[in-house]
Amino acid sequence: MEKAGPPVTKRSLYSWVFSDNYKLQILLVIIIIITVLIRVLPLEMQKRIVNEAINLRKIDLLFFYCGLYLAAVVVAGGLKYLINALQTLIGQRVSARMRKELYGHILTLPLGFFRKTQPGMVVSSLITELAAAGDFAGNAVAVPVTSILTLIAFAGYLVWLNPILGFVSLSIYPVVLFLLPLLQKRANTANKKRVDTTRDLASKIAESITGIHEIQSNGAFGIENRKYGDLVDKLMKIRIVWNLYRYGIKTSNNFFSSLSPFLIFILGGYLAINGRLELGALVAFLSAQEKLYDPWKELIEFYQAYQDSSVGYYRTMEYFDFEPEYALEPEDREPYQLEGSIEVKDLSFTVEGGIRLLDGITFSMKPGENLALVGFSGSGKSTLAQCLNQLYKYTGGHVWIGGKEVSELSKRDIVYNTGFVAQAPFIFSGTFEENLLYSCMARNRGSGTADRESLPTLDEMIEILQQTGIFVDVLRFGLNAFLVPDQDEELVYRIVRVREKFQRNFGEALADSVEFFDENKYLYYSNIFENITFGTPKREVFGEGKLLRSKYFRQFLEDVDLYKPLFDLGDELAKTVVDILGDLPPDEIFFEQSPIRPDELDGYKALVDRLRKRKHQEISSEDKEKLLALALRFTPGRHKIAPFSEMLENLILESRALFREKISDFDPEAVSFFRKSDYIYSQTLMNNILFGKTKTGAPHALEEIDRNIVQVLVEEDLLETVVKTGMQYQVGSKGDKLSGGQRQKLAIARTFLKAPPVLILDEATSALDNKSQARIQSVIETRWKGRATVIAVAHRLDTIKNFHRVAVLKAGKIVEIGPYDELMAGKGMLYELATGKR
Amino acid sequence: MSLPPGKDNVCVSCEFEQNLGIIREIYFFSTMPLEIVKVLAYLCAREDFKAGDYLFQQGDDDGRAFYFVSGRAGLVCSEEDTDHVVRHVEEGEFLGGLSLLGNMPRLFSLKTLTDTTCLILTREKFKKAAERYPEIMPKIIQSVIKGIRDWERKFFLSHAMGCNDCRRNLGVSLI
Ligand SMILES: Nc1ncnc2c1ncn2[C@@H]1O[C@H](COP(=O)(O)OP(=O)(O)O)[C@@H](O)[C@H]1O
Ligand SMILES: [Mg+2]
Repeated sequence: MEKAGPPVTKRSLYSWVFSDNYKLQILLVIIIIITVLIRVLPLEMQKRIVNEAINLRKIDLLFFYCGLYLAAVVVAGGLKYLINALQTLIGQRVSARMRKELYGHILTLPLGFFRKTQPGMVVSSLITELAAAGDFAGNAVAVPVTSILTLIAFAGYLVWLNPILGFVSLSIYPVVLFLLPLLQKRANTANKKRVDTTRDLASKIAESITGIHEIQSNGAFGIENRKYGDLVDKLMKIRIVWNLYRYGIKTSNNFFSSLSPFLIFILGGYLAINGRLELGALVAFLSAQEKLYDPWKELIEFYQAYQDSSVGYYRTMEYFDFEPEYALEPEDREPYQLEGSIEVKDLSFTVEGGIRLLDGITFSMKPGENLALVGFSGSGKSTLAQCLNQLYKYTGGHVWIGGKEVSELSKRDIVYNTGFVAQAPFIFSGTFEENLLYSCMARNRGSGTADRESLPTLDEMIEILQQTGIFVDVLRFGLNAFLVPDQDEELVYRIVRVREKFQRNFGEALADSVEFFDENKYLYYSNIFENITFGTPKREVFGEGKLLRSKYFRQFLEDVDLYKPLFDLGDELAKTVVDILGDLPPDEIFFEQSPIRPDELDGYKALVDRLRKRKHQEISSEDKEKLLALALRFTPGRHKIAPFSEMLENLILESRALFREKISDFDPEAVSFFRKSDYIYSQTLMNNILFGKTKTGAPHALEEIDRNIVQVLVEEDLLETVVKTGMQYQVGSKGDKLSGGQRQKLAIARTFLKAPPVLILDEATSALDNKSQARIQSVIETRWKGRATVIAVAHRLDTIKNFHRVAVLKAGKIVEIGPYDELMAGKGMLYELATGKR
Repeated sequence: MSLPPGKDNVCVSCEFEQNLGIIREIYFFSTMPLEIVKVLAYLCAREDFKAGDYLFQQGDDDGRAFYFVSGRAGLVCSEEDTDHVVRHVEEGEFLGGLSLLGNMPRLFSLKTLTDTTCLILTREKFKKAAERYPEIMPKIIQSVIKGIRDWERKFFLSHAMGCNDCRRNLGVSLI
């Protein structure tokens, strides 16, 4: 699909104008030509209206010419709009294309490049800087063609009307053409100075703000004001010069342009008086002459825009002008299916500054063998792992995988034959399943659903989830999901059955850690709204918070004397949360105990600001509603930031019965109450099985609940269904809705699922607890033994005893390599590392 | 509880404010500005344990710091199937601050002796807070250094002077 051509960073700005857009550009030019011709028509009509219709007093001709005039104006307007539309289309297509290609290029750049590059720089390049270049490309043909053609057409018309007058009035443009670049060059010089000085000024301001303590403690206001003042003055002078040139260009352009009517009046007037020129012709001439000005101005502005955007474009492209270190695709062949032997000889890796990170590394492994890499941190373990995997390009020696030199393989060969779990693996936003299949999808060229068949089956995925110890986590995601009414009738029915069984078997044992729904008790782990209604508003009648906002419900709260206390609670909650969380980033972890969600924080911040400034009576009803909504979300068992009085608790509990009574009168369909026999759609699967909510976040208690639930689910053959639901869990941006351990397990799982012949694990289990670590260790030792060659960088020495061999790295060299027991018996480096004794 | 003035209904049962009071007293966090202490107090969670539960086990890298709100526990060191109780942890004690800072597989197990309530801060939450307020790290490091030095000085003065074997193994404060 890619045409061979220069890399994106080496392309000229004009190359984008045509690539892909040939047809559009040609269409554009044709429309422009028509438009220009049509634009001349009114001038001719003007002449004829005066000369023929009015002078000869012919009404029918007047109507006819006026009709033509009108038609020409209308059509020209319509075509102008079409031209603009085409320009936009081309410009946006070019922008999109540039963004995609540059992004694609950036992704393939060597890792070393990213060590030095700020993500913000890449972001602004892709988003802001290329926009101007794209806009330019949209105009690159249209504007000059339109302007020049219009100029020529009008100029030709002028000459046709009257050659002498025509040439005289055109004579000024060469003068402008000569003067303009001179002025523009000076303006550009001043502009560059302005950019530099502005940057100096910005860093000066930043410096003073950072060093404000020092300035104040020294009372150095005078010094700093002077330094700042000097820069401001300098900038002022530069800006004056710059603006003078810019206005100079404008004014001289205007001046010369307005000289030509003057010439025409003198000359044309003389000719007309002498009867050598018709009056109509003079009028037409004057208005045609006037029309020269607009295209001329556009041409000049285009010239300036060209200069600006090409500076931005080339500077951006230069910044990313590096070559990828490896070919992405193999040439003229399918990717190799290598066997997993590894041979490393005299491998060295030297980075800028001549620092040798790896030196003389030599070892070899047969397919299916495994090797542990150990050593102090900074000894080069990760670097070695990444050299084997093409993440770094080694600078000396050889690495052969399955007999092929790694530096000569394409990226796809490596992707096919190796799997790598990084020290700090990265998880992308999307569902759990998407992340689990990430490596497999990428191997299948990321073509998504098209080849779903070549992707692992649910059973295979579940097997890997179990091996990596993340099965229970996914199950829990599934249990925390909501079902949609009328979609899973069968499942809903079965869950209610599970509920009964669960209650029977575990109800009593879990009384400490689960708060079961009980009509006569206050539920501390449900919110106030649920406590009042003890049910769920039905979607059709009071869906999406409508009940909450309804007058009916508000009136009810007033009637049971809850309105005021709830309003006060909302007020307190908003203030407290904003006080504690106001400055924090919208990160899930900060909001676990907050009734305000991350995306609502800014809104409530503004609300609290308003509350501070205003008196109670003046609060808008919208704000009141927001506070009330917050209070209704309050769940004393989870939101520990505000007190919950017994009085309020009793009031709410009393209101519950009343609510049921009243709403059943008002609209019996409005609310579905929590009943043991009904599925509750507003609650998670888990809460539906429990018919209640867990009271605690304590791991040991949750584990017990999980165990019990799993038992019932297995008995009812529902486990797979729930896990499948759990795989649709959204992991959040950078996977921030997963714990560190879950992220690491997921990273291992996605690599295991790909099952490559060579597996490289860089401290892949460092964030896991002992049990999980041991589990994965045993998977490596049993399942992968003989099936994949495994190189594992180990962060703990008690996990490496069963590896075939251990290599100890020190300052980029292998100081010893051999079976664990041998090395320990030899009392060398490994012994020292393991025992801390010399 | 000492709270900033201006709150008219100082609550009796609000856990956050109690936590705030506790965190402010813990030496590990005591040098931090109030707005950060507030965030940490908010991020803490209370957890109840039954007598005989393990808070962590030798070798775990659980990454949690504990403050004993009530109850007692024993610090246990297991060697070859036998458990030695190293010492007791009492109400009001704080431990595990170091494991907030980075990987730290436990060298001991901690097992409750009575029903216990702890205030727990996890590494993950602490790190998020530290990302947001980078200025807390130097302060924490200072607290850690001071803690290590104080510990060794106390140990030196109270035991090591009279015990040759101990003296040879001194020097945590020199790492
Ligand atoms: N591309 C690079 N350029 C410069 N220094 C690097 C590069 N990659 C790694 N290093 C440095 O090399 C050393 C070894 O790093 P690493 O392989 O991550 O060690 P280990 O995994 O054994 O802890 C570190 O000091 C690291 O900062
Ligand atoms: Mg490393």
